[in-house]
Amino acid sequence: MGAKVKTMERRGSTFIERIYLVEIFKGMARTLSHLLRNLKDNSKLYVRHYPEVQPEIPAGWRGRHRLTTHDDGTVKCVACFMCQTNCPADCISIEAGERHDDKAEKMPVSFNINLLECIYCGYCVEACPLDAIRMDTGIFSLTDNNRQAFIIGLDELLTTPGAYPEEDQKKGGA
Amino acid sequence: MADKIKLFVNGEEVEVEAGKNLIDAVGAVGIEIPHLCYHPALGADGNCRMCLVGIEDGRPPLVPACKTRAQEGMKVLLDAKHIKKIQRDVMELELINHPIDCPVCDQAGECKLQDYYMSYDQAESRMTVAPVKKNKKMDFGGGVVHDQERCIICGRCVRFLRQITKTGELGIINRTDVARVNIFPGRPINNRYGINVVDLCPVGAMTSSDFRFKQRVWFLKKALSVCHGCSKGCNLTIDHNKEKNKDDIIYRFRPRLNEQVNGYFICDEGRLSYKLENEDRLTTPKIGTVERDLTDVLASCKNEIEMSTNVTILLSPNASLEQMVAVKALAGKLNASISGFSDGYIITGDGDDYLIQDDKAANRKGLELLGIDTSQQGFEQAIAEADLLINFGNNLGLSYGADALKTLLTDTKTIACATHDSEYLAGAKLTIAVRSYSEYDGCVVNCDNILQKFNKAVTKNNELPTICEIAAEFGGPLTSPAEIFAELQQAAPALKPYQPATIPAEGLNLNDSEAANVTA
Repeated sequence: MGAKVKTMERRGSTFIERIYLVEIFKGMARTLSHLLRNLKDNSKLYVRHYPEVQPEIPAGWRGRHRLTTHDDGTVKCVACFMCQTNCPADCISIEAGERHDDKAEKMPVSFNINLLECIYCGYCVEACPLDAIRMDTGIFSLTDNNRQAFIIGLDELLTTPGAYPEEDQKKGGA
Repeated sequence: MADKIKLFVNGEEVEVEAGKNLIDAVGAVGIEIPHLCYHPALGADGNCRMCLVGIEDGRPPLVPACKTRAQEGMKVLLDAKHIKKIQRDVMELELINHPIDCPVCDQAGECKLQDYYMSYDQAESRMTVAPVKKNKKMDFGGGVVHDQERCIICGRCVRFLRQITKTGELGIINRTDVARVNIFPGRPINNRYGINVVDLCPVGAMTSSDFRFKQRVWFLKKALSVCHGCSKGCNLTIDHNKEKNKDDIIYRFRPRLNEQVNGYFICDEGRLSYKLENEDRLTTPKIGTVERDLTDVLASCKNEIEMSTNVTILLSPNASLEQMVAVKALAGKLNASISGFSDGYIITGDGDDYLIQDDKAANRKGLELLGIDTSQQGFEQAIAEADLLINFGNNLGLSYGADALKTLLTDTKTIACATHDSEYLAGAKLTIAVRSYSEYDGCVVNCDNILQKFNKAVTKNNELPTICEIAAEFGGPLTSPAEIFAELQQAAPALKPYQPATIPAEGLNLNDSEAANVTA
């Protein structure tokens, strides 16, 4: 998906070019021809057609985080704090509590990630001993109009699905 | 000074104290002999075999260091191949059925199995069969939760409850790989020192139900302090942490070794008294019941002091020596009578013959040292004549009932400096919130006349003034810590050779120094 590069020849040394007048009209004609062409068909534009056409995000790309679940939908995370300990941006804050099913003894009662502070380094994913946190949601665009909305909690982290099949994840997902 | 002897460790000569076992003797000079079951307070049991060393004098090739007394000229082998192998083998044995649930284990970060695995083992497991399943999360009562899978049957907890508390609630049941630490049916841990088994446990088998999952230990900041729960003044490590965007909070108290005072242990009430430092704290100064700025309240206080003709100052028996000195100087300046009456802090019959004392005040001996009267008669006489009472943190609600207090203070206005919100503050005209003992440093004198220094642990987001600062604001002549300490050295000659930072960690026995001064 490399960007299209067009090398332009350097101009402007002849007499006609140096009086500008002719060149101005030539330039306006060129602009007008582009306008008319693009009005008819915009598929040859030199820019990405975002947001109509979303970019293709590979599985290894680190997007917004999510917490994975067991098959029965319960949280895999055991609140060991490895991600919080390793986070260089200090953007994760967890509160741990007792767990009463037979999966583990401990679970997070709150798990907040401040996405404005996150530097998307992926250390949390590397540190996790249980594959409980991943950055494979493919979400790269986060917009809102207040800071509080960027602190995402346990519910949001758990309900966001992964964007890639498990085979891609095994080949080297985020 | 104890006698010194010379012995050889790995061929190098070291000088150690005589009369100790090898673990303690060479441990004191910084050479570690790994051990799991041995604890200096509980004696050598010799069951874990982790401390096996070689001694080159014709003995069997391996001897347990915990059971071997250090002797002159002994040649101790720690780095020989067969010693390394036995250490690896013992670690492998301990880890055969270990659940390796370090991610959910509260001990992770201060676990002997983790430390020794990194230092002495680092081998992969050779187990090909499923580990034996045992009981987890067993409530042993008394705030102790037990995990049998993590237990290495070192017996420290069992020995503690038999030797120290002499209650014997725990026992090891069965042998070999079906051996388990357990309580007797229907007889939970029920004594006032039970949570010490959590500190004693070298692994994560004993966890405190109070601290459980609250915080990973590597986040905790440590500060050396002294318990203010009773007049014993047990030495503490305060573990506290300020999480991002939150306030600095204490998560637990742990006992700190002081042979002169508490040994290795503290009582459960003292251990859990950290909660008082976090909860129900007074945070804003008040005029009447209205919350106001500190500057406004201080201005009103100064006004009241100027208007009054006869001031009585009441000190808390929990205040540090520095605060007492500063307030005493203030009393001299204001020509006020000063009292330390606090009979309500004494709960007769609550103490025992081990650590817990009847007197729940940390520094009553300090009041005596500075010659401040603590009699009820003296206080009531002073208050009868006074039109203003300045109360520096003394909880009068303990000494008087609500009605009695009201009658006592009918003709007296009160300025109260307090750490905690309490009913006795209800009648106060002006209230100033001050720091509690985890938030300042100072000295206290315990019931055995041992002067101990404690350090500031917590720095709150909203830092309150100290009693020393308030005393200076009210016109007290001692305004800087250096002046206060110089004055304190006058009152306690034993402090003369020291600066606040150089007071020995084990404390100064004032009885000793008085005796020394007399003979000198």
